[in-house]
Amino acid sequence: MLTVLVRRLANVIPTLFAIVAVVFLLFSVLPGSFISAMNEDGRGMIDPAVMERMRKEMGLDDPLIERFGKYVGHLAIGDLGNSFRTKEPVTKLIGDRLWPSLKLVLAAMLFAIVIGVPLGFIAALKPGSVTDATSMVVAISGLSLPKFWLGLMLMYLFALQLKLLPSFGYGDGGLTHLTLPAIALGVSPMALLARTTRAAVLDVLNADFVRTARSKGMSEPRVVTWHVMRNALVLVITTIGLQFGSLMGQAVVVEKLFAWPGVGSLLVDSVFQRDVPAVQGCILLIVLFFLAINTLIDLAYVAIDPRIRYA
Amino acid sequence: MKLRTNLLVGGGLVGLAIVVAILAPWIQITDPVLDANLMNAEIPPGADFPFGTDQQGRDIYSRIVHGARISLTVGLVSQIANTIIGVTLGLTAGYWGGLWDDLVSGVTNLMLAIPSLIFALAIMAILGPGLVSLLIALGLTNWSYSCRIARAQVLSLKSQGYVQAARILGYGDLRIMFTQLLPNMLGPLIVIATLGMGGSILAEAALSFLGLGIRPPYPSWGSMLSEARDQITTAPWLSVFPGLAIFLTVLGLNLLGDGLRDILDPQSQERRA
Amino acid sequence: MRTIGLAIAALALFVGMAAEAQQTQTPRKGGTIRMTGPYGASMGSLDPHATSRAQDGIVSLAIHRPLYSWDSTNNKVVLELATSVTPSEDGLVYTFKLRDDIFFHNGRKMTADDVIYSFTRIMDSTKGYPSARYVRVIKGAVEVEKGQAKEISGLKKIDDFTLEMTLTDRVNPGYYFFQNNTAIVPKEEVEKGNFAANPVGLGPFVFKEHIPGSRVVLERNPKFYKAGKPYADRMILQIMSEAPARDVAFRNKEIDTSILGPAQYVAYRADPELSKGILEVAEMFTRALTFNTEHKPFQDKRVRQAINHAIDTDLIIKRLVKDKAYRATSWLPSSSPAYDKALKPYAYDPDKAKALLKAAGYPDGFEFELTTSQNESWGLPIVEAILPMLAKVGIKAKPKLVEVTVLTDVALKGEFQAYIGSNLTGPDSLATLRCFYSKTPRSACRVTLFSSPEFDKVFEAAAAEVNPAKQLELIAKANAILYDEAPVWFFNYNKAVLAYQPWIHGLQANATEITHQYVEDVWVDERSPVK
Repeated sequence: MLTVLVRRLANVIPTLFAIVAVVFLLFSVLPGSFISAMNEDGRGMIDPAVMERMRKEMGLDDPLIERFGKYVGHLAIGDLGNSFRTKEPVTKLIGDRLWPSLKLVLAAMLFAIVIGVPLGFIAALKPGSVTDATSMVVAISGLSLPKFWLGLMLMYLFALQLKLLPSFGYGDGGLTHLTLPAIALGVSPMALLARTTRAAVLDVLNADFVRTARSKGMSEPRVVTWHVMRNALVLVITTIGLQFGSLMGQAVVVEKLFAWPGVGSLLVDSVFQRDVPAVQGCILLIVLFFLAINTLIDLAYVAIDPRIRYA
Repeated sequence: MKLRTNLLVGGGLVGLAIVVAILAPWIQITDPVLDANLMNAEIPPGADFPFGTDQQGRDIYSRIVHGARISLTVGLVSQIANTIIGVTLGLTAGYWGGLWDDLVSGVTNLMLAIPSLIFALAIMAILGPGLVSLLIALGLTNWSYSCRIARAQVLSLKSQGYVQAARILGYGDLRIMFTQLLPNMLGPLIVIATLGMGGSILAEAALSFLGLGIRPPYPSWGSMLSEARDQITTAPWLSVFPGLAIFLTVLGLNLLGDGLRDILDPQSQERRA
Repeated sequence: MRTIGLAIAALALFVGMAAEAQQTQTPRKGGTIRMTGPYGASMGSLDPHATSRAQDGIVSLAIHRPLYSWDSTNNKVVLELATSVTPSEDGLVYTFKLRDDIFFHNGRKMTADDVIYSFTRIMDSTKGYPSARYVRVIKGAVEVEKGQAKEISGLKKIDDFTLEMTLTDRVNPGYYFFQNNTAIVPKEEVEKGNFAANPVGLGPFVFKEHIPGSRVVLERNPKFYKAGKPYADRMILQIMSEAPARDVAFRNKEIDTSILGPAQYVAYRADPELSKGILEVAEMFTRALTFNTEHKPFQDKRVRQAINHAIDTDLIIKRLVKDKAYRATSWLPSSSPAYDKALKPYAYDPDKAKALLKAAGYPDGFEFELTTSQNESWGLPIVEAILPMLAKVGIKAKPKLVEVTVLTDVALKGEFQAYIGSNLTGPDSLATLRCFYSKTPRSACRVTLFSSPEFDKVFEAAAAEVNPAKQLELIAKANAILYDEAPVWFFNYNKAVLAYQPWIHGLQANATEITHQYVEDVWVDERSPVK
């Protein structure tokens, strides 16, 4: 298990460096700047002298190479620079958003697993039946709706019509405020999970060793729980991992709609305000999260299926 | 498997969208851009305007019909780009191996790690909103899956008899890759591309929502939906029809993808036989 | 016994009636005000000097206060932190008598030193504080900005509560120092560092909590200098940039105020309940399509006038903007004292437009690129509506879409043939017109590159005029010249609309920015769902 971890880390570092470079370059060539973004709605044109001082303070006029060198240098000691907007360290900015973001992603994933896996499982037990078709259409429908649209509909239904849940915001960070954005975010991983589970279970059900078990007179429930579950798990966990890892990035739209104070909403806002250090920090965090989850998944493989070994 | 219904329904929905897109100029009622008449703004669906009119007094039905062109173009072109990039990289990496393989795998991991929506967001912000930028943004950021599949397929096919035979016959690397290997992996690639098309159409809607959509005057479904979201209570038809168009098309693509997988993906067919 | 019983009953009735009356008249103490921040998904900075964003101004105005404030009833600047101000004969030296009952939230009394400190901080030569443009009107501020001096020579402390301010020009300092980002801050708190995370001011509310991206929570300042105020115990600013989500939240009574766009304005006006809580104000923004007057066709005044005649502006305002705007006649908004009611807007007259184009040498029209953002009130939808109208007179406009962020850059760098946008046009009308004065650099705000000797002459005369009435007359004259010259297509003056719940009272129709409320005057009655 340790070797897996070491191998993983050896891969992660060059990837991270490449990402830092790509992101830095991408956002250095954005048209518009933090300073022009301050002039939203035409109010308060900033005068030339102030602009010049701001550019200097933010180091916007330094050559790109120099800025990149400085950035990487600071990054190496865990310093992500200061936000243009709030002048605070980006690490603090992101730190404030981390817990709400994690909460949302975890809740969404929980929703996806609790609904998606049983749905796929039920569908697979009677392939071709009405149950199968219905559950798959339900799942795939979830995958076919624009997220902001789904989110708005949830708001209208659960907040405005049924008065069950608050429509937006963080509140005290509890379950009532979390539910709607988590469902809006969780629907598409739910659909993918249902699909994968169905396929995985179908594959395993037809595999030789299950047939053997059946022919040996093992009762159907036991076949299902014992052999099928265990073997389908590997594929399902892979999907969970991939989805889970990318969910923080996917949360952008949902967070913006529900005014959820996560990393995604910070990212979008920072892109539009051209707060480049904050943008870089957010993307870095999202990428790190993805890589961390994937490492965990790799470790989980080894735990579940001892046959998997890493060469 | 009896689940051919998904193929039928999916194919039907996608086929309908394609037919509508092709016939757009002939089945439109009015010009979707120039026939704006503010006196006709926001008329509910009725005899004159089957889907109603929008804020500018344009016929929503005609805009949906034309939007099919834009939205399907977005899906198709971006997926073709993604597939070409992914397959070329995956094929060569799997076939040649070595340093090139390491490099491609590295870049693929990188692309997987940065969420494609965010990548696309950055590219759109750099190039400015518009159709061409959108095609570039979505066409460059989603090839990692097809690359991985192509590479995995090459690795398993490489050692098979007919590839060895071709090599002995003195076929060049590229010829082997594109005449011997590629045809054998088209199935899974088509499945990925079909599902990816749906993803692109949804991504376009998401980017529109975030304020980085397609340039006027021609409408895409995503930008229509995103523009109409303020009027859900006052003029729901503004958003219902583009929303339905997206939903049905993407649903169709997803069902079609699933259906194709059942037929085309030789592995799963083999396993289920 | 019976009489006593009757007396008690009568008393109860009387008390009941009194309570009833109180409900409609006397502000209730306590409760929570829940406002919304509609501009963007987060706050910029809570350091009042470091920002010029409208969203930050909402909080800034609750925690901090500048020297002057905006009187929404009379549409003018009034003293806030001082009891009196005496200008010198030549109009350059102002002597402020500061209030002596103002305490910062940390318990220290505010003195003239704090004013001097705050203005000096804004001019810091190493930092780009946006409000430097206002403080620069004080003599000696530029030297501090350039690093040539440590102190602003134009600021003199006479005693703890008397301050003398010398200006560079004859202007009303109120227009400069009512801006939120010229607020007076306590030195010792700023120097602790991290002022943006722990802002300490002297305003009606004390900073309590900021959950970035979600909300700012403030609590009542018991030692506020206006006796008995503020009324509410707490103020919450909910950050909500998505209009449809805000709509749901407002209807669901989760917020007390909301900003409405055109679509919702219609819906709220049509609703019997919601229509009771709509506050409207003509804001000081002029929405216009700005011509680059150095671009060939637009060099000719007749072409610019032709476009003004070719667009059915009233129709766009009525049908597309849903009357959430006032038709613009010239550059200065209707809230300006120099606004001329007699001026009639350009009539919609395609034939006249064609004639003007013909006279200018474009009988078959021409083509130009029209840069726009996606803004619903002054961006893409408007452009989509004017495209067919211009096409009717032979002019082909090709829209070029950019982000709002980029629009400013495009404008200041002059990288456009024409662009459509929103322009702050108040409250200082003279300063507003400076953007058309030929000696103003483009990067300052003369984005049209407009230049007219006639306008310059009137403008210079207005700037030099001492008599306020005569000055107004000259400003109006300059504005009339702009009307004729038409350096822009005059579209509209924004009508800002704030929706409020029935239990919230005392909101002000602030023409400089409707979300900027002097919250000490706002109160909520018992019907509010939060305690």
